[in-house]
This record gives sequence, structure tokens and C-alpha cells, in this order.
Amino acid sequence: MNVEISELTRRFGRTEAVAGVDLRAGPGVFGLLGPNGAGKTSLLRMMATVLPPSSGTLRLLDRDPRSYGPRREIRRRLGYLPQNLGYYPGFTVAEFIEYFALLKDMPSGQVPRAVAAAIEHVGLGGKARAKLRTLSGGMLRRVGIAQAIVNEPELLLLDEPTAGLDPEQRVAFRTLLREFGQRATVIVSTHLVEDVAAACSEVTLMDAGKIVFHGTPDELIAQGEGHGIGDAPLERGYSAVLAAARS
Amino acid sequence: MTRGPDMTDHQRGLPGPGPDGVDLDRVWIGVAAEVWHRRPGLAERLASRLLRSPGLARALLTTPSLLLGWVLATTVVLLAGVAFTLSTGTPWVALIAPPLAGAGIAYAYGPGIDPSWELSQSMAVSDRMVLLVRALAVFGLNAILGLVASAASGAVAAVTFGWLVPMTAVCGLALAAATLTRSPNVGVLAGLAGWLITVLGERVGEGRLTAAVTSTALVLPYLAVAAACVVVALYATRTPRGT
Repeated sequence: MNVEISELTRRFGRTEAVAGVDLRAGPGVFGLLGPNGAGKTSLLRMMATVLPPSSGTLRLLDRDPRSYGPRREIRRRLGYLPQNLGYYPGFTVAEFIEYFALLKDMPSGQVPRAVAAAIEHVGLGGKARAKLRTLSGGMLRRVGIAQAIVNEPELLLLDEPTAGLDPEQRVAFRTLLREFGQRATVIVSTHLVEDVAAACSEVTLMDAGKIVFHGTPDELIAQGEGHGIGDAPLERGYSAVLAAARS
Repeated sequence: MTRGPDMTDHQRGLPGPGPDGVDLDRVWIGVAAEVWHRRPGLAERLASRLLRSPGLARALLTTPSLLLGWVLATTVVLLAGVAFTLSTGTPWVALIAPPLAGAGIAYAYGPGIDPSWELSQSMAVSDRMVLLVRALAVFGLNAILGLVASAASGAVAAVTFGWLVPMTAVCGLALAAATLTRSPNVGVLAGLAGWLITVLGERVGEGRLTAAVTSTALVLPYLAVAAACVVVALYATRTPRGT
């Protein structure tokens, strides 16, 4: 298992953002759904080793991230796209991705090829030498995805990765997710249920810091049978599970 | 996402395997790697060897207060200090060097100046190590520039070297304030305010503007302030515990 979470909790003052979550994940694409404030980003940040838990246990890639050595090893094998990724406006696309490849401790001899492959993966070959300040929001998001995959991560964490992408790019992105999901654990936090339906093998639905559903997209769809709210079957499942959790 | 709308015509026209079974995609990646790769300069190669980490070396070379514009601005201010010292007899270089170095330290690293701070925190090269290396490099460069300027202004040895200890304290204060408040501007202001209060306080007490630099009685308090501020900076950059 690449991710083993048990009774994981994160509090901010009196607010419990993540409240006793259990989760296990091996290779595959996992969708993390939920309304605003459900705790998705906090959970993802803990898995990215950016935010330490208040309590509970977290094992990533068979290591305990609380100690420096294992944490560093996890970070070498991790790809993370934060919800709000800032950019150095004076860097080119290639320089930005190369910078983070080096900070991920990749062997410097492998970096140029890995950077080129990541740029091509996200379809930004024509913009590799463009300054980041000249790119559109969708292109910047793809730069963020490229830095996340540059080290061929075993654990890929993506927070709202499709925000700002046009429909064509979203379709291409889902293909990339499926490709990575064959050899790595990919966890995608999103508001867009169609991304989950198209790319995810499992889906976890969070509300008020707790997991209220975990299963396949088909199982979530089945939850929505006979439920009126939502245009798509998965949306109806989503609404039905949330309504049941809140009642 | 490969072969998206932003790919060049040349790339779009590439087939997968070539006529002789050559994987043209692989060939292209090799070519692109050569073309897009930014060759590290001499300074980066040296830093990489010294630090034994190409990532740390790149992080060092991208320090805002080590960029050419910043270093030139620092040099210009020190040159102005040399000119004022020579024309007035007051050792202005010794008085302006500490807050100048403090400003450089405040702008060395941190959430206030790093737009990708969240991402940087998830990297294998630890953010604390980046902060340490950058702060030491900025401190060292400012010390060298200040010493050269001070010597050029013809100051006596006590003044030439006297400001190094207060500079350590001002740098510590700027670093602590910048990391604690996550704002480099607050760091700069704290360093400047602390230094102004010390200089003016000593001026009133000792009757000399340079007393803050030359008084041996202040060495220990300066070192104590510097040590306390480093502890505060380490506390501010620790991995936060859950509440």
C-alpha cells in the first residue's frame, strides 16, 4: 500500500478540518470529492508532508513521514500540485520544472530529459522557453502538473488539477491520470464529478472532515438511484450520499 | 496531454516509431532536453560541488538578495557611504552596513518572497537548509562588501571591523522578524528600527554617533540578541505541530 491512513485528524484551533479519517490506497487513480471545507485540501497537504497531523497515523510509500530521513525519501518519490501554486514570473517553463526536479533530489544527469518528457506530457513543448508571466492560467496549471510528474512519482497528489483547463486539455489530462494510475497512486481532489467518472477507479467522498463514502464510481452512481438532485448519475450519487450523511 | 494544441508543427508531424524502428518520440525528447536545458554557470557548478547538492546550489543562486540587481544596489549604497565618510569624517559605511545586510537576509527566503512556498515545503531539499545556506551566503557577501567599503573609506580598524558584530545582531533580528511574520518587509523594518534605536541610544548615552559600532561593552549584548533571534527564526521555520 502506498498510502495507509488511520484515525487521521487535523485541527486548526477549534476547527476539526480532518476528523478521524481511515484510508488505504495502492496503485490506481483515486478521486477525492466533497464540498468546500470538507477537508480535502487538508488531507492532501498531510499526505504531501506539508502539514503534520494533529493525531492518528500516516504511512506513505511504506515510510513514516514524521522522521527526517523517511520524509526526505517520501518527498523524492512524491509529486504534489497544490491548490494555489505560485510561480516565479521570471522563470521559463523549463527552468521552473528543472528547479523543482533538482529540489526533489533527482540525479542532475537525469533532469534535462525528465524535464523535456514532463513538458511534452502536458503539451507545452511550444512554450518550453516562454517566461511564466506570459502564460495563460490554464497553461500555468499544466506547468504545475508537469513539475508534479517530472520525477515519475510513486505517489501523485493533485489538488484541483483541472481548474482552468479547457475541455480538450481536460480530456488529455484524464488520459495522463489513467497512464500514471497504472504504476503509481494518484489522488485527485476535485469538484468536478465528470473528472472522477472518466478517470478514477475509486472515489472517496468527504464531508465535514469525515469520509462519508468510499467505493467505485459505479457504486456512487448506484447510491443516487431515485435521487432527484443532480444532472448526471454521478452527481445524483454525490448529492444522495451527502444528504444521507447530513441527515 | 502529449501532442496538445501548443506543440510545434514539427512536433505534431512526428510519428511514433520511425521507418527503421527508431522511436522518434524518444529522439525528440533527447533533442528537447539538450535545447531546453539551462547549463549551470561557473558559480552554480562551484556551489553544487561545495554543497554536494545541485538542488541546493540552484536554490542558492536564485536568492533574491543575491541577484545582480540587488548586489549592485547594495554596492551603490555602500559607495555612497564611502563618499559621505570621506567628505564628512563620520564613518557612515559602518552605520549603514548592518541594516543593509539585514535587508538582504530578510529577503533571502521565506513565504513572503517565495510564490511557490507551499510546493517548496514538500521538496526533498528541506526549506530550512535552503534558508540556512542562503542566509549564510547573503551574510558573507554583505560582510565582504562592507569590509571593502569600510577599508576604502579609510576608517580606523576598530570601526572597520567593529560593525561586524552589530551586523550579526541586526541580521538575526531581520531574519527572526521576517520568518515570524512571514513578511520580508517587516524583517527589513525590524532590522532598521532596531539599529536606529541602538545608534541613537548610544549617541545620547556616549555622545558619539559611532558608539554603537565601537563600544566593546555592546559586543556581548549584540551576540546575545543574535543568538536569541536565530532561535526565534528556527522556531518560526519548524514543521508546525497539529493543535
